[in-house]
Amino acid sequence: MTSFKDDVISDLKHVCLNVKFEFTKNWKKKRIMIVMLLAILLPVIFYVVPLAFDVDYAETANGFATSNLGFITLLIIISAAMFTGDSISSEFENRTGLILFPTPQRQNSIFVGKYVAALLATWLAVSLYYLITVLEIAQIYGTAEVTVELAKSFMLALLYSASAVSLIYFFSAVMKRTITSTLIGFFALMMILPIIGLVLSIAEVDPWFLVTHSSSLITDVMNVASSGGFGPGNEHDVGSLTSFSPDFYEGIWVMLTYTIGFFVAGLTMANRKKMEG
Amino acid sequence: MEAEIPEMTVDQSVHDDVQDDTKADTVSSEDYAIVIEGLDKEYVKGVKVLDNISFKVKRGDIVGYLGPNGSGKTTTIKILTNLLTPTSGRAFINGVDVTKNPKEAMKPVGALIEVPGIYDYLTPNDLLTYFGKIHGMDKAKIEERILEVLAKVKLQDWQHKKIGSFSTGMQRRLAIANAILHEPEILILDEPVIGLDPKGIKEIRMMIKQFQRDGITIFLSSHLMHEVSETCDSVIFLDGSKILAYDTVDNITKKMTMTTITLSTLNPLTDDILAKINALEKIGSVERKNGNLILGFDGKPETSNAILTQLIGMGLKISCFAPEVANLEDYYVSVMSDEKGVNSI
Repeated sequence: MTSFKDDVISDLKHVCLNVKFEFTKNWKKKRIMIVMLLAILLPVIFYVVPLAFDVDYAETANGFATSNLGFITLLIIISAAMFTGDSISSEFENRTGLILFPTPQRQNSIFVGKYVAALLATWLAVSLYYLITVLEIAQIYGTAEVTVELAKSFMLALLYSASAVSLIYFFSAVMKRTITSTLIGFFALMMILPIIGLVLSIAEVDPWFLVTHSSSLITDVMNVASSGGFGPGNEHDVGSLTSFSPDFYEGIWVMLTYTIGFFVAGLTMANRKKMEG
Repeated sequence: MEAEIPEMTVDQSVHDDVQDDTKADTVSSEDYAIVIEGLDKEYVKGVKVLDNISFKVKRGDIVGYLGPNGSGKTTTIKILTNLLTPTSGRAFINGVDVTKNPKEAMKPVGALIEVPGIYDYLTPNDLLTYFGKIHGMDKAKIEERILEVLAKVKLQDWQHKKIGSFSTGMQRRLAIANAILHEPEILILDEPVIGLDPKGIKEIRMMIKQFQRDGITIFLSSHLMHEVSETCDSVIFLDGSKILAYDTVDNITKKMTMTTITLSTLNPLTDDILAKINALEKIGSVERKNGNLILGFDGKPETSNAILTQLIGMGLKISCFAPEVANLEDYYVSVMSDEKGVNSI
């Protein structure tokens, strides 16, 4: 019998092995390459297009970063859906669980490993996106123009990535089919939650509890006027539509809650899933 | 054909070990690699897929787990490998409760369950390296064992090729290579030859025999009688969620009585000759079948000899005199038709 300490160490070792195995799988499936390519291409467009069409860049570095980051949530959602959508459901649907699960490791080690791998892969893509943006700002405006706001935005993007990965991870644990979990996860973040947010805004209800609403902090934090300010009670009219901006701390709490809540729920559901049939 | 259901060997010691301390995570495991105790499984409430199943597998034995499709074989094996949780009852590997401590219980086990999906975008090297690490093997040992097991399953030239390009047989052999990578003490094989061609079946059968020579305990489920009779020391018959019988293949063969003789002659078998044969004292019945005669008798070798002597004495030119040899399939059919549920050993 092994001691508790040895047991924990071997569990952590198994989690690391599973993270590495997931990276190997995603690398072989060329998913990492696709997402990293997107993470490079999207910000490069904002640098190249004005050059190609002889259009001026934004006046300030933060203005440039804000427009550059317009695609960051898209990248996060694509990345989270690609790396997480099939992470659990595929083991059951493709019956690979029949060789993966009867091994001397806890199922938790496998499922936690899958989550961490998806999160790290998404974080890697987000980091690459911000790195390219920083390089562009340094090139156009000089290194002194790389602001603290951009760093804050980066941290918020990482947090939103975690909540997106957790939400899709939950769908992957609940759904039987890989395609369903991936599509539902993708469309929930891309369309369903934003539509709910829009409908609530029309009804003049603050959709503070929607993670997609909180995600606008990623650009709001840059303090560029276009999307209005942010902060408690921030409410402004856009034509006849009332638009709500998320409160900074409230948004962080919402994203943290989604991250932890859906991860725990997903892990619990994954452990309940059995290789029946 | 009739057959007696052999009395099953009752070794109460393991039962007692379990029952003495029902909350224990382990049982005494000196002699037994696998112990199944009072296993019940219901997928739907009230519908039992397994009904109070108990058996034990001795170390070093190859035990066949036989039953028709849907009899609960795979369910038992999935519980044994922690892929399913039993409704009640317990499964032990080397004395460790599989449900309570799967991480410890699965250490000595190599398993091939049904037709697993194999990550077809990986190579055997990627796959086996991961599983080697999970089993705590170091890098050098993993590299050494990958070469050994791939050679054993004749996939040494495919180490770095994508699994997606493999045939069904090759994928099955790779799954077996994966199961034996860490030199397990116990192999659990569920329908290992399903979907394979005759050559593949023969190769797997030879591999299983080799594993036994290496001292590995093998628990093998199948619905193919021939496969089991060729490879196993003992068999467990399962049907309708219950164990019907558990005995050695030798005992079963010994206990089976051969009760018919197939007879063909060069002489035309007229009604007159038929009547004379029917009148022979030791013959129970005579039946025509496909141009032959099927003679019923008591199954004793001396009776068979006496009948042959009498038939020759009648002047028949015998071209075939074949007492039917009992096999596992006959026994299986007779046990199934008897449907005597025996659920403890």
